[in-house]
Amino acid sequence: MNRWLPFEWIAALRFLGEGRMQTAFILGGITIGVGVIVFMSAMLAGLQTNFIKRVLTSQPQIQLSPLDEVARPLRFDPGVIEGALVQKPSQRILSIDQWQSIAVAMRARPDVVVVAPTASGSALAVRGDASRSISITGMEPEQYFRIVRVPDYLVAGETRLGTDDILIGTELAKDLGAGVGDKLNVTTANGSGRILTITGIFDFGNKGANERNTYVALRTAQSLLNLIGGATTIDMTVTDTYAADTIARDIAAVVPVEADSWITTNAQFFTAVRAQQTSNTLIRLFVGISVAFGIAAVLVVSVIQRSKDIGILRAMGASRGRILRIFLIQGGVLGLFGSVLGSAAGAGALILWHHLLRQVDGSELFPLILEPSLFVAAALLATLTGVVAGLAPAVRAASIDPVEAIRG
Amino acid sequence: MADVLALEAIRKSYAIGTPVETEVLHGIDLTIGAGEFVALIGPSGSGKSTLLNIIGLLDSPTSGRLQVNGEETTRLDDAARTRLRGHAIGFVFQYHYLISAFTAAENVMMPMLVDQGRADRRMEQRADELLDRVGLSRWRNNRATNMSGGQQQRVAIARALAMEPALVLADEPTGNLDTASADSVFALLRRINAERGTTFLVVTHNMALAERCDRIVELVDGQINAERPGRAEPGAVSKL
Repeated sequence: MNRWLPFEWIAALRFLGEGRMQTAFILGGITIGVGVIVFMSAMLAGLQTNFIKRVLTSQPQIQLSPLDEVARPLRFDPGVIEGALVQKPSQRILSIDQWQSIAVAMRARPDVVVVAPTASGSALAVRGDASRSISITGMEPEQYFRIVRVPDYLVAGETRLGTDDILIGTELAKDLGAGVGDKLNVTTANGSGRILTITGIFDFGNKGANERNTYVALRTAQSLLNLIGGATTIDMTVTDTYAADTIARDIAAVVPVEADSWITTNAQFFTAVRAQQTSNTLIRLFVGISVAFGIAAVLVVSVIQRSKDIGILRAMGASRGRILRIFLIQGGVLGLFGSVLGSAAGAGALILWHHLLRQVDGSELFPLILEPSLFVAAALLATLTGVVAGLAPAVRAASIDPVEAIRG
Repeated sequence: MADVLALEAIRKSYAIGTPVETEVLHGIDLTIGAGEFVALIGPSGSGKSTLLNIIGLLDSPTSGRLQVNGEETTRLDDAARTRLRGHAIGFVFQYHYLISAFTAAENVMMPMLVDQGRADRRMEQRADELLDRVGLSRWRNNRATNMSGGQQQRVAIARALAMEPALVLADEPTGNLDTASADSVFALLRRINAERGTTFLVVTHNMALAERCDRIVELVDGQINAERPGRAEPGAVSKL
């Protein structure tokens, strides 16, 4: 007999070993339960990471823009409003007032990582007989590309941006029949126009963005939009992605700009993520409860089957505490072994799923994220669930009257 | 001779305070000295098993005083009674109640294991020595389910002796055995009593076996009806 293990452990393991069929069935149940939890958790974490990465690498986390223009009623005397009806003013493309000092102030903030001023507006791209309305974004590539990872999505050409260069999306390139090195005539509403050379073509995986988004150097956009020395927005990334909303509110309170976080501008996306998280948590919770009930049911049966053994152990001087621990250990051991098998099964299924499930372009649907912490958490939770599930049967075993058990 | 067991006015009632309250033991006075081999006989329903459970500290009397190995037990809590039971009393039941998940040797070690919490070499040696004494050395690694009824009961006897208890309570220890096995098991109990001086209280329906005890106590309707010496022959042990 093992001399290292305490008596309770030896008895618990022997009891589990003797009831092989029961143990195998419940281990199968726990394995499936933990496998489902591990599989779902890892897959959803991967999907979310992928979605969030896609959202965050194609837009700034916080964008500062000028405050909306407000029409003020004409007053002759203080407190007297002459015109009751005030027409809403149209919003012209304006530069952020004092944008350079604001950018410096933003760079000084510890919670801000990258600050990139941009000048953006609408324009018309013409090539031959084809013309398309586009949105031009003028920026400083070394800063801006750290926020919107245009180089990551480049499918042709390069990201070099001289004063006469432009980057366009795949859809626009297709619509205009243009390729890298071709020229585009870009005209804005104020009549400014320029011939720009396509240096690169990107694919954001979004048809609308590929049709409309174009990127030029900041000076080029300033010239086209008649915003010499101006910036229409200041794009930023922050240290804590999920604190972007709070940081934006904080900035808006001290700087005369409008500050929008990616959380506000992607409210629907966030609602979907939250709904997914909630449903995932509920499914995991119910699977966990089913596993706990399974363990409890098997242990209750075991207590009934072993009531004579328990009775004789009590007659031999085993305390109620010892009997209690024997069954709690059984619950914990079932949970632990089930979680190890379940983690392996869940990880195996995830690897298979990751291999089979691909996007239309053949790239992975979600990154394969198998964090060791997930398996450690699964093992700890399953062991704890086993111990908790074993509590009721263990208390029942500990309260068995040895006289009744031996007589019965 | 010091008393291993002393009962004074032991009463036991069930369903107390209800219309069906029943008293099954009506004031039992009994003392058993160290090294005695006593038979407890009586018809079914006379209260033998109830009395044995009270003496074995598995059940509590409704009133009266009970001393086991010189210790007053009436006021002990459950933990203290469990401890005293484990150290001072060994049990042999009509059915062996060996734990099937363990081997014969491990079953014999069980009371020591329950007491100490971990196995050690000394326990293994003691189990081997006890199995040798009951003639089952060869069967030490056999599971309880792979032994005959007589062998199982011998293992149960070895287990009852593991803690060197002052008192062994045997409830119909030969009740499930054929005549030859019953005789052999009973002789084993007597030999242990003679060699080690262990006190035995044996409940039996078998008058022939009861007569081989030092003293016979007859219980009828929850009262001691008669007490008389047995006809244990001095040479009985040597006949084994």
